Amino acid sequence: GGPQNTLDEPVWETAKRDLRRICKNLVMVVFPFKDRSQQSAALRNWDLWGPMIFTLGLATTLSLGAQTASKTFSLVFALVSMGAIVLTVNVVLLGGTIGFFQSLCLLGYCLFPMDVAAIVCVTVKIMLVRWIVVPVMIVWASWASIPFVGGAVPANRRALAVFPLVLLYTAVGWLALIT
Amino acid sequence: MADTLPQTTAPTPVAVEQPSYAHPVAAFFLFFFKAAAVFIYIFCGWFGTDFVINFCTITFLLVCDFWTVKNVSGRLMVGLRWWNEVSEMGGSDWKFESLEEGQRAVNKKDSFVFWTLLYATPAVWCALGFIAILKLNIDYLLLVIIAVLLSGANLMGYLKCSKAAQNQIKGRFNSLFASGLRAYMFSGRS
Repeated sequence: GGPQNTLDEPVWETAKRDLRRICKNLVMVVFPFKDRSQQSAALRNWDLWGPMIFTLGLATTLSLGAQTASKTFSLVFALVSMGAIVLTVNVVLLGGTIGFFQSLCLLGYCLFPMDVAAIVCVTVKIMLVRWIVVPVMIVWASWASIPFVGGAVPANRRALAVFPLVLLYTAVGWLALIT
Repeated sequence: MADTLPQTTAPTPVAVEQPSYAHPVAAFFLFFFKAAAVFIYIFCGWFGTDFVINFCTITFLLVCDFWTVKNVSGRLMVGLRWWNEVSEMGGSDWKFESLEEGQRAVNKKDSFVFWTLLYATPAVWCALGFIAILKLNIDYLLLVIIAVLLSGANLMGYLKCSKAAQNQIKGRFNSLFASGLRAYMFSGRS
């Protein structure tokens, strides 16, 4: 349930509570080493700070290495945000039981591996390293998000929901690769 | 639970006239983040910095503003709060919290400043958005969209919250009225 009476709590309490929630969500989504079944319950405390930070980070990192910084930045940011929204609508249209903001939150947090990939690609010039890191990160991001998305839709439509997801991460990975 | 923001004017009791702001620090921050975001947006050409840095700075200010309005200013200045919870079925529940009767009076000036800024912010960003469309400045349009979404969300949240609070008060008034009526009918009569 919600907080009892938070109207008069000190400002720091609110800030700490939100920060703690971001960390918890990140660990739940991206490093799920424990039991997966409680994850959908855990993501009930969705927040959009994580996705915002990761999307901004991704766009910034990718624009650092590009020629036209501002265009790349806008492109990546718009691509990722639109992609997340379209994917969410896709899940909802396929009869999924995931909430709109929950899904956005999830997809945003799963960008974390792509952030890592982007940082590696921008700092390391050796193509071989990039070709190893990017697919690994794509797999990690997909592995983190597929159970949520796949579990929310009926079994016969799972592929329809999962395919665009992998496509989005692959597109982002490609952008990172060619920087 | 005392609120810990320093106040330069002491809060006066309910019965007495409240000529000054009860939460000047909160009012200042409410204004500061919004004004800084708009200011930097309009004048970022003069600073000569990179688009990416501008975007991130303005987004950071917008996010700070959103968080401050939602969690701090609303609470302190008008005693309202809204948030969202996801229920078992995956449906989202919008929850509202408002001051109980007589818990703390809402300062008229604070309320005026709060609601004015709340309405003004999306309006200003929409206007800036039109200008950006006219100038065909797609990059900055992205930023304006974010600004409109964030400030609009706060506006909607608080509007719904205040409606919920008013309904709550009406409901309580009705039940008080009903119990008073009952008491009157069954007492003082032999």
